[in-house]
Amino acid sequence: MDIFVQLIYSGIALGMIYAVVAFGYQLTFSTSATLNFGQGEALMLGSMVGLTLSNLGINYWLIIPLVCVFGFLQGTVVEYLGVRPAIKIKSEFGWIMSTIALGIIFRNFAENIWGRSTFRFPGPFEDDPIKLFGANILPMEILVVLGAVSMMLLVEIFNRKSIYGKAVVATANDRDAAGLMGINTGLVITFSYALSSLTASFAGVLISPLTLAGSGAGGALGLKAFAVAIVGGLSSGLGIVVGGIILGVSETLTGFYVSTGYKDVPSLIILLIVLSFKPAGLFGKTTIKKV
Amino acid sequence: MRFKFLALAAGIIILSLFPIFQTNTYYIHMVERILIYSILLFGLDIVVGYTGQVSLGHAGLFGVGAYTAGILYFKLGVPFLIILPIAVIVSCLFGALLALPALKVVGPYIAMVTLAFGTIIQILINEMTFLTEGPLGIIIKKPIIFGFQTKEIHYYWIVLAISALSLVVINRILKSRLGRSFEALRDSPVACDCMGVSVYKYKVYAFIISAGFAGLAGSLYAYSEQYISPNTYVFELTVLFLLAIIMGGRKTRLGAIIGAAIVITLPQLLGDVKLFRIVATALAFVVVAGSALLISKKMSTVRKVAVPVIGTVGLMAFSYLIKNISDWRLSIFGFMILLVVYYLQDGIVGFVNNFYMRIFSSKKSARDQIDVGNFDKDDAIISAKNSSAPDQLLNLKSVLMQFGGLKALHDVDLIVKKGTIHGLIGPNGSGKSTLINVLTGIYVPTSGTVEFSGSSIVGKVSAKIALSGIARTFQNVQLFNEMTAIENIMVGLNHTYKSNLFEIALNLPRFKREELAAKQRAYGLLKFVGLEELANEEARNLTYGKQRLLEIARALALDPNLLLLDEPAAGLTAPDIKELLLIIKKIKDKGITIILIEHHMEVVMAVSDVVSVLDFGQKIAEGKPKEIQNNPKVIEAYLGAQTT
Repeated sequence: MDIFVQLIYSGIALGMIYAVVAFGYQLTFSTSATLNFGQGEALMLGSMVGLTLSNLGINYWLIIPLVCVFGFLQGTVVEYLGVRPAIKIKSEFGWIMSTIALGIIFRNFAENIWGRSTFRFPGPFEDDPIKLFGANILPMEILVVLGAVSMMLLVEIFNRKSIYGKAVVATANDRDAAGLMGINTGLVITFSYALSSLTASFAGVLISPLTLAGSGAGGALGLKAFAVAIVGGLSSGLGIVVGGIILGVSETLTGFYVSTGYKDVPSLIILLIVLSFKPAGLFGKTTIKKV
Repeated sequence: MRFKFLALAAGIIILSLFPIFQTNTYYIHMVERILIYSILLFGLDIVVGYTGQVSLGHAGLFGVGAYTAGILYFKLGVPFLIILPIAVIVSCLFGALLALPALKVVGPYIAMVTLAFGTIIQILINEMTFLTEGPLGIIIKKPIIFGFQTKEIHYYWIVLAISALSLVVINRILKSRLGRSFEALRDSPVACDCMGVSVYKYKVYAFIISAGFAGLAGSLYAYSEQYISPNTYVFELTVLFLLAIIMGGRKTRLGAIIGAAIVITLPQLLGDVKLFRIVATALAFVVVAGSALLISKKMSTVRKVAVPVIGTVGLMAFSYLIKNISDWRLSIFGFMILLVVYYLQDGIVGFVNNFYMRIFSSKKSARDQIDVGNFDKDDAIISAKNSSAPDQLLNLKSVLMQFGGLKALHDVDLIVKKGTIHGLIGPNGSGKSTLINVLTGIYVPTSGTVEFSGSSIVGKVSAKIALSGIARTFQNVQLFNEMTAIENIMVGLNHTYKSNLFEIALNLPRFKREELAAKQRAYGLLKFVGLEELANEEARNLTYGKQRLLEIARALALDPNLLLLDEPAAGLTAPDIKELLLIIKKIKDKGITIILIEHHMEVVMAVSDVVSVLDFGQKIAEGKPKEIQNNPKVIEAYLGAQTT
């Protein structure tokens, strides 16, 4: 029983990471109806850059903002090279392929810089677990949940309260109309990509002390975060948190009770099932097509 | 056509003689792999090129084929000739398993779902060791056929024969009604559904056919490599397939072969870093010189060429920085994808075609011309006079269509009598097009009943409703733009075919007969609207008025009982309108009932038997044209109330 509760705890922590990355998908999808297929690689780069900084002796709490700056820049590059030209020629195939290509390039660079092995990422706390409801929980897991939630809240507050955030929301509602109102929608889209990669690299620094950091970690994570975004609905903030927890817990449970080799399978199957029966996601609204 | 046939024959002869002159098995094996990849790419092109979907699951399907072969060989010792068809069937089943959920969604979702599917397949191959031997892999020997142990060269010929066969079959499928449906659903999904061609169903077909070819390629690959292991069928392979398709050129078989050749030979070509440096340097020089030329001739701007110039020069610098190229293979592929996606969108074949056309300024369309001969068909339109439909062909009772708080249709009753022209007018936003969308199943009404020909159509999908006899045109023309006029109509005639996939693949008599009949009728319908001269012109090249006429002809191909014309006269010139009136009258003479939405009052008043008026989603008047013209409520709706 203790083990079970413990697995739930770590599942929730993992799920919150998926939720943060899924949140990144939502950000870009709302402004430009595009997704970064290399989102997982943004997370991986965040953790690897964080690891390098950590090896230089920089404090974990200082690493977080530095990695966020890196992620911001990385997202800008992705948008500029991969998405902007595709939006201009209105090619869906274009941005899908080019963000995939950029993801591959990023991973290949990471492999060449840091090698293919995985590394331990030193966290800010000792690894002594705390007892919570009779089961062990790591302080780092609590930090992951708090960090993920506060990151999403921060971005939401920014979008709702600041005038720049309102520009983002306006672009999300109607890009053409926002453009006519004098909002530089191109800049808003770039910004949404930068924010999206920022949240992903932030998630990378958060999760790495719990798992391991390695150049191959991105692909599966990006895909599972997408599953979360779909299960929760691409427009629902609550949806991705719930979806993240469902998938995270199902993953840790499968990993323990079935086999670690199969741990990615339930999330992907949940994804396929949700798409078959409720394509808009559990919390998403079904849109009506217009003719 | 003859030229293509000769080229194909010459290609096959050269390729079959190749291993006799080039005895190095390394090269024979390389060509063999190109052929195997080509088979997969033919299939992938159906999904990517024709239906316009992105599949990231084809490496998985390729793996399914390879492992079906491997497992059957290793565990059960099944012979080669039985394994091949089983591998195809199993992959088709997996394809169906993927397509059924995936194709309910569109665009980026499909890409991600297929990616998820590919990942699951890879995990299963890795983990189900009792079946697949897991990471150890399976060793397979070259097949024994009727007691004869084949060697590399024999197997090469087998692969060549199968790929040539695949080429022929794929060509037949794509030229048939299936290929037309695939293209139609990409160009305009809504129109496709309203022509009785269910978008979902045909997308699933496309995917399953494509999966079958992937499975065939996979099983051939297993015997070719003689060893299969899970880490072949990974994400990178899928991306490689997509790169091959877009680089070679979509919607051409030659493009698939060129693409396969590139992705197979490139790693070899780039095997040593010196060669790569030379290639990168040459590429950089070409791009810089080309850009300089374009700028000097004012054909381009510094801004426009900046990215490719920086990219290629960067690649050159990069090539001198690295020591070991194989570590950077994926980056180079990624870079190629970026380059192809933005600067070579039509692929190599498309680029050469465009170049050729510009040089020789030939205007010949790249599409196959359908030779219609001199058919004269007056009865292209099936008369609806003898239909058993009740006198009240269409019966709407208190229909409500609500979007959030807006009631686009509010308590609408409407009866349309058989054989009449029923005008439907009303100011903008009064709910006319909403009504048409309700009638064709695009919207499901919030409440109320809709009976057509005595049975309810509420909740039925568009394609079903279309096949039951309701055809329509669209307010904003929805033609299949990249298809010719006659092909557009033949999509509407899809319902006249009974032949199945095998009859198409084998070109059996029934299929040929149906194809000929459809061509003749399509030509007859074009004649009916006066477009026979433009039969082989792409729809997007027609003038606006002609596009509207083509839409009517296409709708008539469905053999409708009820034809819904949504503003057919919008944007037409006065002589065109006269022609349109004649056509509408002729359609009525065939016994087909018409609902006519129109803002040109002279058109509505000239042809309608009954006119209904909508305003703010409600029916405010109904009667003979004369009565409507003098109805104070109608005048108020259009001109506003008098202020006395």
